Amino acid sequence: MAKQPARILVTGAAGQIGYALVPMIARGIMLGADQPVILHLLDIPPAAEALNGVKMELVDAAFPLLKGVVATTDVVEACTGVNIAVMVGGFPRKEGMERKDVMTKNVSIYRSQASALEKHAAPNCKVLVVANPANTNALILKEFAPSIPEKNITCLTRLDHNRALGQVSERLNVQVSDVKNVIIWGNHSSSQYPDVNHATVKTPSGEKGVRELVADDAWLNGEFISTVQQRGAAIIKARKLSSALSAASSACDHIRDWVLGTPEGTWVSMGVYSDGSYDVPPGLIFSFPVTCQHGEWKIVQGLSIDEFSRKKLNATAEELGEEKALAYSCLS
Amino acid sequence: MAKNPVRVLVTGAAGQIGYAIVPMIARGVMLGPDQPVILHMLGIEPAAEALNGVKMELIDAAFPLLKGVVATTDAQEACKDVNIAIMVGGFPRKEGMERKDVMSKNVSIYKAQASALEKHAASDVKVLVVANPANTNALILKEYAPKIPEKNITCLTRLDHNRALGQISEKLNVHVGDVKNVIIWGNHSSTQYPDVNHATVTTSSEEKPVRELVANDQWLNIEFITTVQQRGAAIIKARKLSSALSAASSACDHIRDWVLGTPKGTWVSMGVYSDGSYGIQKGLIYSFPVTCEKGQWSIVQGLKIDEFSRGKLDATAKELIEEKSLAYSCLN
Repeated sequence: MAKQPARILVTGAAGQIGYALVPMIARGIMLGADQPVILHLLDIPPAAEALNGVKMELVDAAFPLLKGVVATTDVVEACTGVNIAVMVGGFPRKEGMERKDVMTKNVSIYRSQASALEKHAAPNCKVLVVANPANTNALILKEFAPSIPEKNITCLTRLDHNRALGQVSERLNVQVSDVKNVIIWGNHSSSQYPDVNHATVKTPSGEKGVRELVADDAWLNGEFISTVQQRGAAIIKARKLSSALSAASSACDHIRDWVLGTPEGTWVSMGVYSDGSYDVPPGLIFSFPVTCQHGEWKIVQGLSIDEFSRKKLNATAEELGEEKALAYSCLS
Repeated sequence: MAKNPVRVLVTGAAGQIGYAIVPMIARGVMLGPDQPVILHMLGIEPAAEALNGVKMELIDAAFPLLKGVVATTDAQEACKDVNIAIMVGGFPRKEGMERKDVMSKNVSIYKAQASALEKHAASDVKVLVVANPANTNALILKEYAPKIPEKNITCLTRLDHNRALGQISEKLNVHVGDVKNVIIWGNHSSTQYPDVNHATVTTSSEEKPVRELVANDQWLNIEFITTVQQRGAAIIKARKLSSALSAASSACDHIRDWVLGTPKGTWVSMGVYSDGSYGIQKGLIYSFPVTCEKGQWSIVQGLKIDEFSRGKLDATAKELIEEKSLAYSCLN
């Protein structure tokens, strides 16, 4: 085990997603089977005892790759020296809360965490925001951590991307590992646009277009899209709890592909700082198709966008513009 | 991915341990990163919707190794052709319940599941019982599935084994990966005997005995033992929930080492059908030090047992004999 350990921060670590995520990280799923890790776990003081329970279990599991655990309610200690930050902590929406209330709470959290990360994380720290509203929390984080390169601040839409792959695989009765290159455009919300226009399936006779194989545009343009958009709610309805397992797993995929690179011929979806590509207004955290190499993501350029898709891209961009305005109004 | 998928059953799959273990299995933690798997998940009727939620999340996570998911409340369908069976489902102790009541409930569950496994699982199915009382549930399962070779029915004490490694690593401030060959003797209960008399730490120069390095027999013979014995309760106190993460991870270790073999010079602890080794009565499921090769475990023979240890080994055996009688009285 010659590699130096990588320090990985998980905020909100005493919660459901944290509990699913930390054993995945400790087993090398996020950074590879040969990369030792040190976990930094942050949560709020009311969760301190539960957080310590998670630390105890990590010690109890005797993970060979896990070289240390820092479990703390102190954001400075949590952020010190971290190479990767997975921001799961946030204020959940409770019954009776207005969107503005949730936004206000989360905007303050992400503003202060931005500051701590900027001051104490390792240079070139890669940040993944999971807590909702993910895109806007990431945007706030970016705004208040100006010395963190904007390319290092992302949000999770890999869950939606994986959900889309899953839906296509079920529809076509193929292995999910044979489906690729769906795209999630925009906001990790119900305005996201799951796009299969460039998605393919590996068949014995080569790679074929998903749209062609499904041969049901009504489904692809209607039910498929709303199933993926609303999958989070469907999981809550079935489990009475939100999707921790799949969110944690997808967060590992997001980081792994970012750090270790995407396979040749394959792209993934990541919420990244928009640069005007595909006529999406710059200055938003917007989910795009990206490839990754040498630890950097790059938006896949030149994909054709039909009229149906154009409207969807515009709608989700518009929602993100509104969220941005709402967030800024909460800060003033 | 040339290998044929292996079918892995998890009972009680809609619960906490199930939710922690299924993504680990789907990522290859249990059987290796090149071994495709098909998950069979069994839950009881009241948990059917939650179980389906878990299945949905497994699809949503787009695991490359996961070649299928069977989620069912039907024991026959669940057991069909499985190669590995992780029995997590059981009746939990509730406030006010007597030991006899818990035993009674679990004995009927394990009698019924024994029958289903024997009839429908692959003939060489490897069984790991996790649900408490683990040793006795495993014994009941063995008694009512006579066609399943007794060597294929085991219970989980790897969690206690890993906890013991963790406690030593913390005491000596060494990495847990450098500690080995602790032993958990006996029952997965508070009478278990965590024994470090043959445990070693790999330092830069050599392997040194734990007892020598710790240089504190008082601690090793009392506090260390009770800490490991009562760790489950400590986790519940901190988390308000029992140890799912570490139990799931240890179950993966148990199966992985059983199937893929233990590293040279290293043994692990498994609850296995006693054959009279170390003066332990035959016919119990008792935790012993074992090495594994070619898919078979064998008890490490010839280890010195001092007087202190002898007393402990016998006490936990006595408890198992009492549990066995209690279990049999529930069946009549």
